[in-house]
Amino acid sequence: MTMFHFFNCAILTFGPHAVYYSATPLSEYDTLGTSIKAAIVYLGTALVKLVCLATFLKVSETDSFDPYQELLKALIGFVDVAGLYFALTQLTHRNISQNHKFQAVGLGWAFADSVLHRLAPLWVGARGLEFTWDYILQGLEANANLVLSISLAALGSLMWLRKNKPKTLIPIIYLCAGIVATMPSITSYLRRGLGWHLPKVVGFELFTSLVMAFISWQLFSACQRPST
Amino acid sequence: MAQGKRQVMESMFPVIELVVIILACVELCGAATVVDVYRLIQYDIAGVPFGSRLAALNHHAASTHFPPGSDLSRTVLIIPFRDLNISFVKEYISQRQPLGGLLFLLPQIFSYENKDGIGRNHQDHEREQIKNVLAELEQLLVHSNIPYPVYFAFEDSDIEAVLADIKRNDVTGQPATATTGGYKLVVSVPEPRKVASPTITNIQGWLPGLKSDGDNQLPTIAIVASYDTFGAAPALSVGSDSNGSGVVALLEIARLFSLLYSNPKTRGRYNLLFGLTSGGPYNYNGTHKWLRSFDQRLRESIDYAICLNSVGSWDNELWIHVSKPPENAYIKQIFEGFSNVAEELAFKVGLKHKKINISNPRVAWEHEQFSRMRVTAATISELSVAPELLERTGGLVDSRVFTNETAIIRSVKLIAESLVRHIYGHQEKETVTFADNSSLAVNPFYIRSWLDFLSRTPRVAPFMSKNDPLVLALQKELEEHTHEVSLQHEVLDGMFTFYDSSKARLNIYQVASVTFDLLLLLVLGSYLIVLFSFLVITTRGLDDLISIFRRPPSRKVKTA
Repeated sequence: MTMFHFFNCAILTFGPHAVYYSATPLSEYDTLGTSIKAAIVYLGTALVKLVCLATFLKVSETDSFDPYQELLKALIGFVDVAGLYFALTQLTHRNISQNHKFQAVGLGWAFADSVLHRLAPLWVGARGLEFTWDYILQGLEANANLVLSISLAALGSLMWLRKNKPKTLIPIIYLCAGIVATMPSITSYLRRGLGWHLPKVVGFELFTSLVMAFISWQLFSACQRPST
Repeated sequence: MAQGKRQVMESMFPVIELVVIILACVELCGAATVVDVYRLIQYDIAGVPFGSRLAALNHHAASTHFPPGSDLSRTVLIIPFRDLNISFVKEYISQRQPLGGLLFLLPQIFSYENKDGIGRNHQDHEREQIKNVLAELEQLLVHSNIPYPVYFAFEDSDIEAVLADIKRNDVTGQPATATTGGYKLVVSVPEPRKVASPTITNIQGWLPGLKSDGDNQLPTIAIVASYDTFGAAPALSVGSDSNGSGVVALLEIARLFSLLYSNPKTRGRYNLLFGLTSGGPYNYNGTHKWLRSFDQRLRESIDYAICLNSVGSWDNELWIHVSKPPENAYIKQIFEGFSNVAEELAFKVGLKHKKINISNPRVAWEHEQFSRMRVTAATISELSVAPELLERTGGLVDSRVFTNETAIIRSVKLIAESLVRHIYGHQEKETVTFADNSSLAVNPFYIRSWLDFLSRTPRVAPFMSKNDPLVLALQKELEEHTHEVSLQHEVLDGMFTFYDSSKARLNIYQVASVTFDLLLLLVLGSYLIVLFSFLVITTRGLDDLISIFRRPPSRKVKTA
């Protein structure tokens, strides 16, 4: 029965990635290679972040919110953005339209994130007899993360790959990208500083991810209009 | 080329194996609550089984409010002390109703680790009531043959919360099973095995008397106490009163007389033999073997023996139990000596006579073993009636909180003064050798520290090895006060057989039912299908979605 629960949580955490890949035209254009390359880049950035965190952060005994430490963590979080930039611009892709490129990169990025952060706790924890809601919430978080990654990739591709953008939209694009990039710091502030419980935090993440996805979709289609 | 590839593959195998092993060995996630539990004793008397016959547990939990008529053969009943209904338990056991297991929750005052003194403020009559109910439960469990695991645990906040939850579920009429979720109790221990050759160890020490020229053999006075216990939960059988109090009194008497005997000018003309025997609950088997090991001369030189049994919780009256008739001259002399001293100390001493029946293997008092070997002996005890087999042997209820060190101090005074008067031949009354505030005063701190120590040490003989720390501690203490301390290791008589596994850790898991996971699967399946359809519609259009589900048009039409 507990393997059953593990299976359920696994399909909640990783299922949407597979569904996204097969449902959208990504599967038709065979963009799997791009996703895999993006996943490897994520691995590299994760290692770099780990080294930076280990070097610069000090271990805090309490679970409280320390603004200085959080600021440091946010700065290190921008390594993420650098990695995404690298994946979007530097990797040689086959002839894939921009539309599909950012989706593939975002998908690979989110999948690697889920596997690295959520697979091990799932394997160790969800198979036990003891039942907790944690793993289901973790799966929902993975879903929110997928949406956020794709939005960030979309905004990233707008910033770095598209040359002609309407001038008025540029600050909005950068602002949205900034918000999405600092999401981890925001959630950790909510969890520690304000003391929100996990379900509330996950709900907030889902809501903001949908909002940001909608905004970035609007921005993307707005930028696309001049070229058509 | 192929060789190189094969080599690479071969070198990968150990890594892959290691990864697989690590993944497989990851233990089941820790439980929400882990509790120390103590198993009911499992033993046989002459092949007849008693006690709880199983140790491993893996069932759902239910409280006493279970819906009547439900099948409990795969459930564990958790019974806290305040819900304990002895007649219900008696009925269940005597009718041999199938049950997955029993878990009794005991009040914290019985825990010897209870350092916070929880429950010390109970009223006296409340405590008496608790004591009586538990004593009854203990006797019931110890003399029944129970084919499922029975465990004891102490009430604490974690297990109380779990129990409250279980009660709530039970009241709604939904017993916990695999399909409805609830709590699962798991104790994973191997099957209990027989304890092979249980050893009992007797410890003896001598205080030799003053031998003047012309004396062949000085007479001996023996002071004996048995130190082991027996109870429903062997890991909790600390026997504070039965017979921790006797052991403590013996040690204090040894200390006082060693002071007296240290100076040859004050050494008496009697040898003193101190014996700490084991095997007490089993018809004083150890005492019997100890006496058998004496040679004839030694046995004949014993003037009389004083056995101590439970002197820790009396108020006004102690009893001297003898097996020779009270008209006997020796008995009269001994009794008079004791009652004179008792009068001075302001309490009473009574004499009880119980004939021994050599053909009956039951030995109710320790002095009876001496009497069977024709040595005059008496037992000093607060009990007025001989206990039955395996009764009052230091079980569950016999904890430190019910034992009174003042009672032990008074007993020591009684015995020490009487002995001194006998040894030194003091005829006048009112000579107090062991007066308070003298150098020979009874030391209350010594008594308290030894009583506390013994009340924290479970002492069931079959579970104590030859080099048990307690045995070594008692030996060392006797060596401080006496000379020629020796240990005698014997094997407990074959009539009693014991099984191990007396302590375990209970894991309490909160499990979700299978229906919950099935529902979850349904919800997830529909979520993924909706997500799929949504994405197909928004990116490729509705027609594509429909085309996925429509079979391609049959080509047979064309051939027509």
